[in-house]
Amino acid sequence: MTIMEPRKHGSAADGFVGGRLSRFEGQMKVTGAATYALEYPVENLAHAVLVQSTIASGRVVSVDKAEAQAAPGVLLVLTPEDDLGLMTKSDWFGNRPDNEPYAPLPREISYNGETIAAVIAESREQAVEAIKLLRIAYDETPGVADLHDPKAGDGKVMDNLSVSWGDAEAALAASAVTIEAEYQTPREYHVAMEPHGLTAKWEGDQLTIWEPSQWTHAMALNYAEWFGLPPDNVRLISTFVGGGFGSKGAALAYGAVAASAARKLGRPVKLAVTRPQNFTSYGGRAATRQTIKLGATKDGVLQAIVHRGASETSVTTDYPEQTGAATPILYKVENYSSQSRVVPVNTVTPGALRGPGKNPSAFGIECAMDELANKLGMDPLELRLKNYADRDYQTGKPWSTRMLREALTQGAEAFGWSKRSHAPRSMREGRQLIGWGIGCGTFPVIQAPSAAMIRILANGRVEVVSGAIDMGQGTYTILAQTASEALGVPVDQIDVLLGDSRMPGSAIAGGSMLAGSITGAVHKTAAAARDELIGLALNAPNSPFRDTGANTLSVAGGRISVSSGNGPSMSLPELMTAIGQSELEVTRNTLPDDAQGATDQNAAWTSMKRVQGPTMGEFSMHSWCAHFAEVRVDEDFGTVRVSRMVSAFDCGRLYNPKMVESQWRGGIIMGIGQALFEEGMVDGRNGRTVNNNVGDYLVPTNADIPDLQVISVGVPDLNASALGGKGVGEVGIVGVAPAIANAVFHATGKRVRDLPLTLDKLI
Amino acid sequence: MTRTIHLSLDINGQSHALDVEPRVTLLDALREHLALTGTKKGCDQGQCGACTCHVDGQRVLSCLTLAAQVEGRQITTIEGIAAETGELHPVQAAFLEHDAFQCGYCTSGQIMSAVACIKEGHAGSDDEIREYMSGNLCRCGAYNSIVSAVREAAEAAR
Repeated sequence: MTIMEPRKHGSAADGFVGGRLSRFEGQMKVTGAATYALEYPVENLAHAVLVQSTIASGRVVSVDKAEAQAAPGVLLVLTPEDDLGLMTKSDWFGNRPDNEPYAPLPREISYNGETIAAVIAESREQAVEAIKLLRIAYDETPGVADLHDPKAGDGKVMDNLSVSWGDAEAALAASAVTIEAEYQTPREYHVAMEPHGLTAKWEGDQLTIWEPSQWTHAMALNYAEWFGLPPDNVRLISTFVGGGFGSKGAALAYGAVAASAARKLGRPVKLAVTRPQNFTSYGGRAATRQTIKLGATKDGVLQAIVHRGASETSVTTDYPEQTGAATPILYKVENYSSQSRVVPVNTVTPGALRGPGKNPSAFGIECAMDELANKLGMDPLELRLKNYADRDYQTGKPWSTRMLREALTQGAEAFGWSKRSHAPRSMREGRQLIGWGIGCGTFPVIQAPSAAMIRILANGRVEVVSGAIDMGQGTYTILAQTASEALGVPVDQIDVLLGDSRMPGSAIAGGSMLAGSITGAVHKTAAAARDELIGLALNAPNSPFRDTGANTLSVAGGRISVSSGNGPSMSLPELMTAIGQSELEVTRNTLPDDAQGATDQNAAWTSMKRVQGPTMGEFSMHSWCAHFAEVRVDEDFGTVRVSRMVSAFDCGRLYNPKMVESQWRGGIIMGIGQALFEEGMVDGRNGRTVNNNVGDYLVPTNADIPDLQVISVGVPDLNASALGGKGVGEVGIVGVAPAIANAVFHATGKRVRDLPLTLDKLI
Repeated sequence: MTRTIHLSLDINGQSHALDVEPRVTLLDALREHLALTGTKKGCDQGQCGACTCHVDGQRVLSCLTLAAQVEGRQITTIEGIAAETGELHPVQAAFLEHDAFQCGYCTSGQIMSAVACIKEGHAGSDDEIREYMSGNLCRCGAYNSIVSAVREAAEAAR
């Protein structure tokens, strides 16, 4: 076997922003040296295991824990009878009720799989064994299993989500061609490969939490508020995160349980949420249904869109999965009406899962457009181009950048769309029916401030320090590139330190807002550090640059020199030694000047208070994509395979195309899973999630995925972010499922309007 | 207290002694008792492949293997496949070069599976690689790059 030369950090030429630098922390990940939350060595650990409810609705009458408590190794059993003394934490927007107690092990049960008890023992095995000895008595009340339960009803209208302009109903009635259909998506789950969990350790009133996190500062504050601690008393460490997809942005009930147990026992506690328990410890994507009516002229000019959507939520919180999120901005339409409902059922409160809102929304509108194209006898590509939105018709604002036309045309070219025979069931190979479909996607540019620190050390190494996290998006890599470019120091001289709430605060790694935010902060900080370094070099008493008469200096390739080339040139360590500087530390943030106080800063790093939506400025800013899918459907068995996909994206400037392409493919693959496999199954009798494991809740395997061609058609958008990028992570999944559903219709002539596209719906 | 048994495990060419309960899996022995945390726990029920290790050169799911079962066998984990000089195994190098991972949590299992897949002679074509790498889930969706990395490493091994 030949040993290949490893390219630890790619080639030096890849080091600037826009280069294809290999994953900066990659060496640690391929050798097993990357340490995830539950892998930190902590002395004297006790192990906690959760117990979840087996009824959907009712109350815990009693828990007989005598036998469990007497079992070998058991240290503590926590039940709803234990008052843990916690207080409710703030919500996403930083609002907090006064003096409201919080019970992470509630007596009142609102869904099957709710955490109601925990056993803590010397070993995990002992805790698991002891759980079997708990005797839990319930008083069960009738529940609502899911969105399809006849008892669920129609729910309630979310007024803040109603959108209308023009007169949609009248325009629809006057349209020459109309379609109307209902589309449904089931419960879907994040299934990050790293299950949730944490280790909690107290030292006096200082709490350290090792937990995978998409937002270290906000989660640290969650714990501080629960336990009534000053925020600085909690440190949350999340150096590596084994995937999140929206699930790891806030502390959850199990975290409060583990930290409470650690405090009671006076020793650190590790709590690993089991894979099945992950399915109900936090919410996945809510099941949705939506009705879409389209009206058009005979030659395919859209006249009206009427959308009515509903998503399930819990009985405790109204969390809408916004099926109307993409509907108003994909096409030019003068008459529009949308209304959204939430339907409370006995489930864990749903949460954000890749492409929240936009994803099921695009399934509706993009399938509907395909149905309209079919009714008109029109090429679905032509229909989309014909109704191209020249501006945002909802707000009337111009797009900042919108290369969706290029995504459609260049994607079509790469796919070979012009060879499509448009009639359904007109393409086949033997017993395989072949279908080609299109689905467009979008996700808003969401902006938020971040802070960063740059440290130049005496040995010439540069540290980029931020509380931001990397769950696989490439934060480590693009920050090394950003600092390298702004400072003039090669990437192999840079270390990036992330994922610790003691580090400078940042935007959440969610809503595709982190990369644009944190690169801006690091760029600003690195530029300031460079200026300070040059200032020191020009002014320090012992600096060889002091008497050169230069106004400024250049820093490039890790060397500082006189710009004219006539004069000294020194490496960073040489300069630091010459001027007797042991370290240069610079911290900056991207908050406005009038919000630099501690209160404003803390609010910015722990709440959504400073988050800017896509249309809050003078432009309407979004990422865009167009997916082209080929499916092969077995005529006899109805099995669907995706055999080819081409996807073209406008995500603005790409900070590192290698990382971006990986994220796009990841989103597309999750979309293939959504289209073909993923469906949370609920037992109608008791609201239990039946397929709460990855053998039964199917996510794509390697064999399910063909080669995926991804194309960038974006241009830098400096309204969207400091360095010109738009969001990358969320948009990749949006539009994939409708592209596949439309391809299946093209292959079979059968329109399936409820995901996933399983064989029973096709034969 | 619960009864423990004494085990001596041969891991990455080194002998490790430990006292564990008989019900402790190889995965938990590695992660919780021997500080070898490169092997990952993704499901603990044999469905995801993140815990893949080699026992006598064959890939096994360490979450479905009791530590007591593998005494006297040669166990190899992700920590044990690079050269002693620190030089990466060709499969590790190919994973890095092709960006065959994002979050990195399935990566150890993918690489251990890939090393065995190549050795088994199951990396003859992209379709074959896809099939024989399908016991290892990757939710970040690095499958295209995993196929490229395994293909390249397999070609280099010929």
